[in-house]
Amino acid sequence: MRLIIHDLDQADFHRISAHSPGDQRVVSPGNGSIAHCLGCFGCWVKTPGACVIRDQYGDLGELLAQCKEVTIISRCCYGGFSPFVKNVLDRSISYVLPFFVIKDGVMRHKRRYAKSARLRVWFYGEISEQEMATALGLAQASAVNLWWDLVGVSFFRDAAELEGQML
Amino acid sequence: MKIALINGSPKPHRSASGCVLNYLTTLLEQEGHSYVNLSLSRPHVDPQTVHELSQCDAFIFVLPLYVDGLPSHLVSCLMQLEASLAVSGRGQVVYAVVQCGFYEGHHARWALKLLENWCSRTGLCWGYGLGFGGGAMLTAITKVPLGSGPTRSLARALKQIVASLGRGEGGENIFATVDIPRLIYKQAAEMGWRLSARSNGLKVRQLYLGR
Repeated sequence: MRLIIHDLDQADFHRISAHSPGDQRVVSPGNGSIAHCLGCFGCWVKTPGACVIRDQYGDLGELLAQCKEVTIISRCCYGGFSPFVKNVLDRSISYVLPFFVIKDGVMRHKRRYAKSARLRVWFYGEISEQEMATALGLAQASAVNLWWDLVGVSFFRDAAELEGQML
Repeated sequence: MKIALINGSPKPHRSASGCVLNYLTTLLEQEGHSYVNLSLSRPHVDPQTVHELSQCDAFIFVLPLYVDGLPSHLVSCLMQLEASLAVSGRGQVVYAVVQCGFYEGHHARWALKLLENWCSRTGLCWGYGLGFGGGAMLTAITKVPLGSGPTRSLARALKQIVASLGRGEGGENIFATVDIPRLIYKQAAEMGWRLSARSNGLKVRQLYLGR
């Protein structure tokens, strides 16, 4: 299964996803308002694998575990993800374990699930060169810490330019 | 100088960011700076906070690292402040401390870059930041005086920031970690998770479950 996490409005997303094939799930603002992560670590030590906030976004870690591919489409904010997309990632930390492992000489969280996923990131918006460099580094770092393979980061001037891209 | 100490943690109490702010408060008082404590713990910035910021000469953000970047609620706040401070800002110098639960402070490098990029868009002057590893330990050692034992490196880095802001200086980001061996830190942190699980009525093996 492929998971698409995006912050586009429904009309923009429909234009780029109308011809996308296959088995996919979509996480977007259209799923309902999202509460922000409280940093309580309840998803690790109270209800392992699930967020204690039981809105529409409470089982994102489990959802990620079912995916072979994750595509993120986000407005670029200062070289990072938009508040909605970042919130989805923040609410997904149950995807990994609280326990640590040393990988390539650096501390990481152990993986909870055996499967891995391929990550593609599409950033859109007016993006400076400095922000672009940050976005590339951030996407790579996020992929490493979530045990994903980053297969591409692309930049677009606006949501309209996404139209015609193969999702 | 008047400094805005900005807590970017969503946790109202017992946060590692709050511990760092307590240390900074002491250092600022020692240097004769006045300061105001501000909190950005929710995805909205109230007008009073914007007003307070506009009255300050420098900002110090202190926040936790969330998935290699800024907590989402703080990104929302920064976007609101970008618009507000473009009008009322005075090109203040911005410093930041990003603390993380990983041992190595350099995990925070991208979060610091995000704040630097925000400064560029907002018309503020980026000073530099500290990426601090082992932040999870800070709430457990609040009785340890800053500069002693595991807080030696943190003390050096915070003193450097306070000295720099007094002179309005910028610089390269710095990275530090709690002064205990990585293996000990790892074991202590993992013991903390196990104790938390037990206090929540869980067996340790339940922490590993895939749902």
